[in-house]
Amino acid sequence: MTPAVPSAVRLAPVLGLLVLATIAAIGIGSSFMPPERVVSALMGQGVRMDEVIVWKLRLPRVILAVLAGAALALAGALLQRVVRNPMASPSVLGISDGAAVGILLFLWLFSDEGNNLTVSVHWQPLAAILGASIFGGLVMLLALADRGGNRSLKIILYGIALAALAKAVVTLLIILGPVYRASQALTWLTGSVGAAHWDDVLTMALGLAIAAPFLASQRLVLRQLVLDPESAATTGVPLERAQFILLATAVALTALATAHVGAIGFVGLVAPHIARVVHGQFRSFYLLSTALTGSLIVLSADLLARTIAPPLELPTGALTALVGAPLFLYLLIKGRRYHA
Amino acid sequence: MPEFMASLSGVTAAYDGTPALGGISLDLPDNRIVAFCGPNGSGKSTALRVMRGLHKVESGEIAVAGRALADWSPKELARQVAMLSQSPQAPSDLTVEDLVMMGRFAHRGRFSGPSAEDVAACGTALRITEMTELKHRSIAQLSGGQLQRAWVAMTLAQNAPRIFLDEPTNHLDVAHAFELLDLIRHLNRAENRSFVIVLHDLNMAMRYADHVVLFKQGEVAASGPTQDVLTEDAVSSVFGISCRILPLEGLERPVIVSWGKNKA
Repeated sequence: MTPAVPSAVRLAPVLGLLVLATIAAIGIGSSFMPPERVVSALMGQGVRMDEVIVWKLRLPRVILAVLAGAALALAGALLQRVVRNPMASPSVLGISDGAAVGILLFLWLFSDEGNNLTVSVHWQPLAAILGASIFGGLVMLLALADRGGNRSLKIILYGIALAALAKAVVTLLIILGPVYRASQALTWLTGSVGAAHWDDVLTMALGLAIAAPFLASQRLVLRQLVLDPESAATTGVPLERAQFILLATAVALTALATAHVGAIGFVGLVAPHIARVVHGQFRSFYLLSTALTGSLIVLSADLLARTIAPPLELPTGALTALVGAPLFLYLLIKGRRYHA
Repeated sequence: MPEFMASLSGVTAAYDGTPALGGISLDLPDNRIVAFCGPNGSGKSTALRVMRGLHKVESGEIAVAGRALADWSPKELARQVAMLSQSPQAPSDLTVEDLVMMGRFAHRGRFSGPSAEDVAACGTALRITEMTELKHRSIAQLSGGQLQRAWVAMTLAQNAPRIFLDEPTNHLDVAHAFELLDLIRHLNRAENRSFVIVLHDLNMAMRYADHVVLFKQGEVAASGPTQDVLTEDAVSSVFGISCRILPLEGLERPVIVSWGKNKA
């Protein structure tokens, strides 16, 4: 009911910040490039060296951060609606860690002594999806089997338990697995967009290009899910089917992002929350606002991660967790603001 | 137009193994106001919920609006039967206007904004529930009675010819309760809409219902025209209380006066 024009205008601040962050992220690095050189290199009018740095080295990393942030944020927004709990997110529900288990098993099973993969690296997202689905599915099954009240809180609790289990499995795999994989796995696990290639960008973009029109078609269903399940059902929502499809979409988006940038946590928790405050969760383009916010968070976190302590690169995921974990505590303490 | 708004035959249902309905059979007439009455835990809410497909039956068959319940798609059924459950929930920052628009889900296009018809239906629902002036409020800012009316407006915006209401007079003071039931009667008489209402107040049922179903311990104790069902004997035996049913001058229907446990 809210008019479309003001809602679209509300996207302007986050969009503007994202553009600024993009230019900064491309410009800042081992050799600094001022904004005007960044822009001219992007337009293909810069000097050759600038263009190589921008197009070969920095742009893939920047775009990957933007896409992965959007995917994680969308996954978080979907989960929060499906579970009806603002504390839900891929990392809280064990989906991110499940994806990590899938990827580590993949690295363990399919690499040889020479540290080379015996199968194409393009199978890695599939392993992530498999791991994420198994852990996400387990959480839902446990919550469904539990007959006690307050299911949406139960899902969070089972998620936390299974996330801990997945983390333990990951640690064991690192210690027991081939030594030459350990340091590589560690960097990847805390989340890093450092090793970005155009290949990764393409896969991520493809995944989001499939998810975006689908989510646009589901926007009314997603909105309807804020009602209690019975009210949502009586207004005509095919409840179980909708919940399953949206959950599967969230798992796929998380796994896709995790496979490419590692387990960057808490973006899925923080981004929808910021979008709720800045944009409003019942306005049009709420999902778009959430996605842009996610992009901004991961891009800024990555920028900070490589500029705080050069030449060291901190894991991006450590920075997002630094902001996300306190917010989670805040939400937990404040409790749910649902009104009967 | 099917003869019955809903038909149940041999329906049993349970919550976690505790039986709630013990094989009930019912035919509810269309275009009427039907009241479900009975003590707490007698199965009236469960009967309403299984009729709307919100609770799975263990055995038996249910047809709604002339078609087996399982044959309806969720959206088609929502266009035929709207329902307000006992304790609906929505986020506190939702506005009344947005809540009422959610009642239009089954009618709205997948990609477009609200149609003129959607806007008109919401406007009407807000007006007849006297919520128009409060439409920009968030639901956290409403009193209990206003909140209940907002949910009723949402249910009416669905524009279904059949409406199930589970204790709609909850949280309403006696004046607003009468207003709501007058509105229901108006919608029944003027627009031929059918209602099934779970009502605790037997006098409300006596005054407004065309047809009453009395539930007792998961069974149907009686079902039929209001004054045939709500008799002194039936009320006494179902609720275990003593009562008299007395005509009052100027009232079309008699009133039920009851007092404690079986002492005259």
